Amino acid sequence: MRGPQDYGGLPAGPVDPVTHEHEPTHWEKTVDALMMLVFDQKRQLARVDESRRMQEALGEDYHKFPYYERWLQAVTWLMLEKGVFSQEELEAKQAEVRARLEAERNGA
Amino acid sequence: MSEHHHDHDHPTHTHDGKPIQEDPLPPIEAQILEASVRELLIEKGIVSAEEIRRAIEVMETRGESLGARIVARAWTDPAFKEKLLHHSDDALLEFGIDMRPMELCVVENTEDVHNMVVCTLCSCYPRPILGIPPAWYKRRDYRARAVREPRAVLKEFGTVLPDSKQVRVHDSNADLRYLVLPKRPEGTEGWSVEQLEALITRDSMIGVSDVRDPAESGA
Amino acid sequence: MEPKYKPGDKVRILQRNQPGHVRTPIYVRGKTGVIERIVGSFPNPELLAYGHTGLPYKMLYRVNFRQSDLWDDYDGPVDDTLEIEIYEHWLAPA
Repeated sequence: MRGPQDYGGLPAGPVDPVTHEHEPTHWEKTVDALMMLVFDQKRQLARVDESRRMQEALGEDYHKFPYYERWLQAVTWLMLEKGVFSQEELEAKQAEVRARLEAERNGA
Repeated sequence: MSEHHHDHDHPTHTHDGKPIQEDPLPPIEAQILEASVRELLIEKGIVSAEEIRRAIEVMETRGESLGARIVARAWTDPAFKEKLLHHSDDALLEFGIDMRPMELCVVENTEDVHNMVVCTLCSCYPRPILGIPPAWYKRRDYRARAVREPRAVLKEFGTVLPDSKQVRVHDSNADLRYLVLPKRPEGTEGWSVEQLEALITRDSMIGVSDVRDPAESGA
Repeated sequence: MEPKYKPGDKVRILQRNQPGHVRTPIYVRGKTGVIERIVGSFPNPELLAYGHTGLPYKMLYRVNFRQSDLWDDYDGPVDDTLEIEIYEHWLAPA
């Protein structure tokens, strides 16, 4: 069975490198840096293989996420699986961040 | 099933043809998730804000210039080139780079062979040398077509190769990371290392195009 | 650990019907190529992906294929090739 990530040889469209080229945004660089640190030798927290497995577990949803959002989703699940933080902690933090971002958008 | 859902909403080019920076921020839920995960990891002592800041800084300064320096050195120093091709760990240490446990596999373009690199299963890329891979490298279209119709993909980059030259595609699917060593162009005899570095582009080290034309470089 | 294959050996990629995380793409399964080099032994990513140590190590090779052997409709010269890394348990002599 072909995993959703197994793209080699499938029908596809133009590579269009001019459109799909941009300086990585600050947000993307931050996600990238976070990923590299989480998987590094120092922390021994998780292997990048595990995050690949998590991304593949998205199934058909693999195709819907842009690259960094897919990584972020996978790493979140991985951290939950490993007990680095709990679902409750994550939800509480998300509520806190949401409120802060909304205040910034309204108050600023 | 399309990965293009962000692209439809925004013009991709200005009226004079310059590519527009995509939205600097993703949808709000992704921003919230990123900030939440980052802050939790910091609170738990897994990473520090300083480490993240420094990692971004390294990423920004690295870019493709390190790769260009390595290639220019290989062009001008035959002993280094041999080391790069056969003992890449040692060659990279000379530039202060340690990629272990991954290993760099350097593939040399010759008169007869043009090399091209893809990761069909994800986006493996020699990040310690070339930095963050370009968006097109990570997308489905490149990953699907580079292995099956490399010459058509190369044409999209303006690279047209004669049938007499072998196109060799490398699928970077396991523990190696690949760097193409482009051919040193004719007409660069006696050039300084800095002049040579200026010819070597990221795309030439991925293998989708050749180095800059020395005749056009104004050196 | 002794490699089972050496450069120049003809090998066939197995059609393992293996669920879960694998690093052998579908497009090379069942195809025949030639060992280009022995890369070395590495922990098995199929196990690493689930948080295991990945031991025992698996031998990894680079395998060279003719593109015309991989794709019926390959539109290019017969000499065009593709090289990819394959773990020993995905190989059989051809």
